[in-house]
Amino acid sequence: MATLAQQIVNGLVLGALIGLIALGYTMVYGIIKLINFAHGEVFMVGAFGAHFTSAYLLPDAMPWYAALPVLCVAAVAVSVTVAVLMERLAYRPLRDAHSLAPLITALGVSILLQEVVRVFYPGATAPLPFPRVFVDSQLTAGSLIVQWTGVLAVAVSPLLAAALHWYVERSRLGRAMRAVAEDPDTARLMGIDLNRVILATFVLGAVLAGLGAVLYGIHYGQIDTTMGFQNGIFAFTAAVLGGIGSIRGAMLGAFCIGMVKSLAGQYAWGGAQYDYVWVFVLLILVLMFRPQGFLGRLERVRA
Amino acid sequence: MRTKSGAALSGLLAIGVVLGTGACGASKTESPGAAGSCDTSKGTLVVGVIAPMSGKLSAIGLGIRNSVQLAVEQANEKCAVKGYQLKMDAQDDEANPDKGAAAAQRFADDANVVGIVGSYNSGVARAIQPKIASTKLVQISPGNTDPALTRGAEYATAPKRQHENYFRVVGTDDLQGPYNARFLVQDEGKKRIAIITDGKAVAENMATEFTKEIEKLGATIVGREKVNENDSDFSSVLTKIKSLKPDAIFTGCDYSISGPLAKQAKDLGLNVPVSGNDGIFDPQFIALGGREGDIAASVGAPIDKLPTGSAFVEAYKKKNFPEGYGGFGSFAFDAANVIISSIGKVTASAAWTGAPEQRTALVKEVQAYSTDQGANGVVGFDEYGDSKNKLFTVYKVTSGAWKDVKSGQFEAK
Amino acid sequence: MTLDRPPVRHRKPAAPELPGPAAVLLRLRAPAAAVLVLAGALLPWASVVLPGGAYPDLATLQFFDAPHLVTGFRLHLVLLGLAAALLPRARKPAAIGVIAIALVHMAFLTGLGALSIGGPVTLAAGALLLWAARAEPPRPRMELKTPPPAVAWLVLLVAFAALLWLVSATLTAGGQSRATNPYGGAEFLAFLGFGLAVAGVLSAYGVLAWISAMSERHRIFSIAVLLGCALMLPFTQAGTGYWMTVASSIGVYAATAIGLNIVVGLAGLLDLGYVAFLGIGAFTAANLAHAVPFPVAALAGAVTAGVFGVVVGSPTLRVRGDYLAIVTLAFGEIFFRAAQNDIGGLTGGANSIPGIPPINVLGLAFNEPVGGLPGGSRYYMISVLMVAGAMAVLANLRRSRTGRAWLAIREDEDVARAMGVRTGRAKIVAFLVGATLAGLAGAVFAHKLGTVGYESFDFSESVTLLAAVVLGGMGTVPGAVVGASLLFVLPEKLREFSDYRLMLFGLALILIMRFRPQGLVSSS
Repeated sequence: MATLAQQIVNGLVLGALIGLIALGYTMVYGIIKLINFAHGEVFMVGAFGAHFTSAYLLPDAMPWYAALPVLCVAAVAVSVTVAVLMERLAYRPLRDAHSLAPLITALGVSILLQEVVRVFYPGATAPLPFPRVFVDSQLTAGSLIVQWTGVLAVAVSPLLAAALHWYVERSRLGRAMRAVAEDPDTARLMGIDLNRVILATFVLGAVLAGLGAVLYGIHYGQIDTTMGFQNGIFAFTAAVLGGIGSIRGAMLGAFCIGMVKSLAGQYAWGGAQYDYVWVFVLLILVLMFRPQGFLGRLERVRA
Repeated sequence: MRTKSGAALSGLLAIGVVLGTGACGASKTESPGAAGSCDTSKGTLVVGVIAPMSGKLSAIGLGIRNSVQLAVEQANEKCAVKGYQLKMDAQDDEANPDKGAAAAQRFADDANVVGIVGSYNSGVARAIQPKIASTKLVQISPGNTDPALTRGAEYATAPKRQHENYFRVVGTDDLQGPYNARFLVQDEGKKRIAIITDGKAVAENMATEFTKEIEKLGATIVGREKVNENDSDFSSVLTKIKSLKPDAIFTGCDYSISGPLAKQAKDLGLNVPVSGNDGIFDPQFIALGGREGDIAASVGAPIDKLPTGSAFVEAYKKKNFPEGYGGFGSFAFDAANVIISSIGKVTASAAWTGAPEQRTALVKEVQAYSTDQGANGVVGFDEYGDSKNKLFTVYKVTSGAWKDVKSGQFEAK
Repeated sequence: MTLDRPPVRHRKPAAPELPGPAAVLLRLRAPAAAVLVLAGALLPWASVVLPGGAYPDLATLQFFDAPHLVTGFRLHLVLLGLAAALLPRARKPAAIGVIAIALVHMAFLTGLGALSIGGPVTLAAGALLLWAARAEPPRPRMELKTPPPAVAWLVLLVAFAALLWLVSATLTAGGQSRATNPYGGAEFLAFLGFGLAVAGVLSAYGVLAWISAMSERHRIFSIAVLLGCALMLPFTQAGTGYWMTVASSIGVYAATAIGLNIVVGLAGLLDLGYVAFLGIGAFTAANLAHAVPFPVAALAGAVTAGVFGVVVGSPTLRVRGDYLAIVTLAFGEIFFRAAQNDIGGLTGGANSIPGIPPINVLGLAFNEPVGGLPGGSRYYMISVLMVAGAMAVLANLRRSRTGRAWLAIREDEDVARAMGVRTGRAKIVAFLVGATLAGLAGAVFAHKLGTVGYESFDFSESVTLLAAVVLGGMGTVPGAVVGASLLFVLPEKLREFSDYRLMLFGLALILIMRFRPQGLVSSS
């Protein structure tokens, strides 16, 4: 019983961290129907931006409550810069090309970013320790133990998702985003600046990825150049599971994946070595019986 | 239209800049040490390196490459091979057997290449061995620990040499695993041990050999779990292991997984030592979360206690390589020196042509090579091509650094 | 998904005519630039004699001492300069080639700290030439008449022989050993620039279209000649063990990519886990290698992969578009994980399956050298035949009833169904055929490498295969082969840049998609 509770908590923490990346995937896909494989790398460069700030710019003796906001800003700044450059230089010129061209470009950007960081960032050929800029102890409740960083992630991540949801529902730009997602051509005719809306979508996704990167770094205590890839695949899976284009769906999908991975490792056939397999089996089953995901809308004929 | 040509030109420029930096990188390796003082009239001989130099294992691969570079430069300074200048040619295998086999074929075709230092991954070596077997090109691995590479599938019961031209300077899994097991049970008094691996050959084989020895010694393996090599969240696996109440965790993985694993074990209140082999014997293990009392059993004497070992470390530091020598640099250095010394003997009698007979002669010289002056002490090969160096040292994390607690010969029982 | 909407390209308007002497000066730009190219080629390029010998092809050459020594990139520059002077249409491609050659060598020489005036002069000449060429009014497309069969056959023979030479020269450009020729990378890249320029010149004069029209008319003949040329490669300079190893790898991946091309390019079903089929074929053949002869093992590999293709394809009945992509990605990951964990004892797990014997025909093992040919050349031949077979399958399917059904599904599935196409069946058949080809390739892969392990089949391999299909040109017959060759030859030739290799690969993917999103071989 204690083990089950602990596994559920483990799953929640993992889900919270994946969820922040999944939001970026779901937003971009919702708007321009592009699986932005490089989004995981946006998350990764955010982590390295924070690491750089902490290792080379901040004074050594700085209380964590002062350092943490600075690192968040740094991570967000780097993530957003990279995302904007990516959209402007790599994706925008391909707006009219067939849909696989941007996908291949996204894969190219992903490889490029990983390699640039690996080759040019000092020490990035191996995992780097991330500064401990949060309470480095555990919350203990009975036999249940969870890092305070995990508590932070589980608390912050749904809040950020809710804020994003509110923004997309209520703000002017959010309305424009929904209009573009619905029908880009009509939206353009209605006077919406397509380029601006798409860029804003990338920026929003990058902000969340940057924050997610700092949460990830302080929770696991390490970052490496491949962290964006594996977590990116999970995040994309989460976005699809929840129903791509849906913000609540992405969070739900992420928690679901965290839970399945955690519980399957404990209880399912094959143990931890097959935990990924169960995640993907779940995905396939859900898509077979509910192809639009948990909260997605069924896509009908599209021009 | 303007912007389009502008974009094209800036693209061209970008390529130019990247190529320029590439050229800078390349030019580093071509400044010929102090070759001016040696007679290099007979030409150039090449020591090939095959290692993973990009991707997740690049820290290890680049350490291997730099250490071979160091050995080659030292040999050139000392005119170790009379009449020849030595060069290193490093090929990235991306830890992919297909890429490694192509690189090996490239070396085998080239008469100037005298030998290969590599590969790091046993899986890559399995693809290289049949490719170069008929060409007799000598291969010395600094990192393959799969016993089957030298002694065949029946390595424990009916060992049989697989390839005349394949050697290694690193201890095999069936030594490393049991040595660690003996230390944990006999010296530390551990009774219930859990195992975590990452699905890579080295981890799996090491864990299997470890298990055999643990059972022989009367202790229990309470569980064996496998994590994904790209994972960073091990809380689920560790929770499962915690419920099995072990008093030690053996990890077959290298530090990039074992470090975070140790941190997350602590976070979950699982306060038992993590024990591993040469893969975790690296300062990064501690930086990434290794705790006081965690254990590593590594091949060879402590490097700073051997004069030859500390000489290697000193020389490496002087070269200012951007990367550290990593867990396998010293082995690569020893391997390169075996090739350099042997080629000196072969070329003493006749000029090098790269003919199969000469390559066979070189293999014989390598087989006969023996010294106790390597960076890791004894360097030499037994009748299967395995290292004769069966000395192991156990280190523990003590006040934030690895400290050696015990050295000893491994004796098969 | 709309897969092939051709990109809109705008032609610039012609430059306005200028009066008087200015016009004369402008008209003189092109000849002046051509002369400058010739001069630049013969000026010294390197300021010092570099350690390890002269910079490629005697960059410090004194022309008047030894004019016959104009070789390598200087010869290429001279040829391009002459082309620009004599052939008006050749100016633009020649300019691009000159700029590429100059940039590559300048970058290298700057890196070595030995840059001399030859490079900058040539670069300026190239830029001037480009400017002049861009200012010229667009010319009508050149049309060459199709000659009688006898002449056409001769022309085709010569053209394919030239192609063989070009491939061999590209592979061997810069030599094989980086340690003995540190400038090999520069020589290769510069040669690539020259090759592109030559292709551009031929295209500008309609020669390429002429040849392709002729080969279209004499299909059987040209296929036979092309196949013959491909089989001749081991007899050229590129016939080293190394290039045969690389080329047979390309063959394996090209056959797999052709299979993927059926699924993605023709039927429009995005698959992100395709390498699993290669793996299934390889593991099947590896398990049977000691029990049955190769043809049986290969057949078993193909059939098993085909069965799995149907299984993986079955969700297509319900799942569409990018959702299907993620389902296939999931299947790929499940396969990878299962192979890593040695499922059912079939994959060898972490230790892979070692010791797969080489293909053995009539007591002749395929890995042994024969006569003057290196060991791998017979694997190369078998992979050429396999690729040729796969191309034939693709070409025939494209024109079949099923092929038309695929194209209809690709364009619009709902409309296709409304028109009476049995979409479900067609989609499953696409996966079946594609996976079977991949499984066959996997069997060759297993025997060629001698070992099969899970690590050869990870997600990045699926990505590479998909990139090969898209780069080559989706749905086209030679596309996947061109793409796969590029994606395997480039990294091998870029070994010079060890650390920057993958980075350049990523950059190349972005740039090719940026400037040629429809792929190198376009279907339109």
